[in-house]
Amino acid sequence: MIHGKLRLALLSLLSGVDEAEFTWLRSKTGSTDGNLGAQLTRLEEAGYVSVEKKFVMRKPQTLYRMTEAGRAALTEYVAALKQLLGAAVISGQ
Amino acid sequence: MTDEMDGKDLAERVRLIENMMAEGRRRQESWGWTFVLWGVAYYIAFFWSWLGHFAYAWPVTMSAAGVLTGVVFQRRRGGNPATTLGRAIGSIWTSMGLSMFIVLCAMGYSSGASNGHAMIAAFAGMLGLTNAACSMTLRWKAQFLCALLWWVTAVAACYCSDDQLLPIFLVAVFFGQIVFGGAMMFSEYRQRKLQNGVVNA
Repeated sequence: MIHGKLRLALLSLLSGVDEAEFTWLRSKTGSTDGNLGAQLTRLEEAGYVSVEKKFVMRKPQTLYRMTEAGRAALTEYVAALKQLLGAAVISGQ
Repeated sequence: MTDEMDGKDLAERVRLIENMMAEGRRRQESWGWTFVLWGVAYYIAFFWSWLGHFAYAWPVTMSAAGVLTGVVFQRRRGGNPATTLGRAIGSIWTSMGLSMFIVLCAMGYSSGASNGHAMIAAFAGMLGLTNAACSMTLRWKAQFLCALLWWVTAVAACYCSDDQLLPIFLVAVFFGQIVFGGAMMFSEYRQRKLQNGVVNA
């Protein structure tokens, strides 16, 4: 699920913060609204991020948070990457 | 993820994770303006009460400054994400503000201006506590100097004469709020310029 580069970037960004707005995620990833929304929806469906929509001073605000499942998935992915990297170095790639 | 991923792709993904985590940690928040705002608010409250409106000068000015801080903070937040550290610092200052408001109002209304030494000592002591707590949390030595200034002010308020009390208070506000806040704003501006320069390089 998180192998896609944008989804990987989103989880990495969210891993360092408590919560982040849609606009902030867009500015950091440089993605379009449509693509970003679609990837965040997929992450939400997988249970890796949670969404909160609210109004702040009459302006709509959408906040995303990483879930424990998302954190575990990212940790697992990084561990697998390190393992593969180690193997690639050994094999001389 | 498949076994067909080559070393280059793997390294690229690791770089992506590292870069995004670093981006997430990068902050462009600015807090210097709050020190300057509150320094100006203290001066306004002081001079307004000096003109004879002691009963409501401080509660009204402090309430207005609190509301203004909240509004400007929301507007200037610029979508920056919430962090545990940010919440901790915000909580420290909010708690201090509420304590100061409650305690100083009670002291003021119960005994009027005759309790000036105790009020300024309490005021300065609370500011010293808050600045010290933030300095230790953020590991920022400059803010600890600010805390020392307020603690010295608190002690001085206990021992000084009535004539010395107000100048001590005004000088402490000038250095502890206006000068410190101005220096913070300048430092934040330089940091933003540096970060934007790196991004645009």
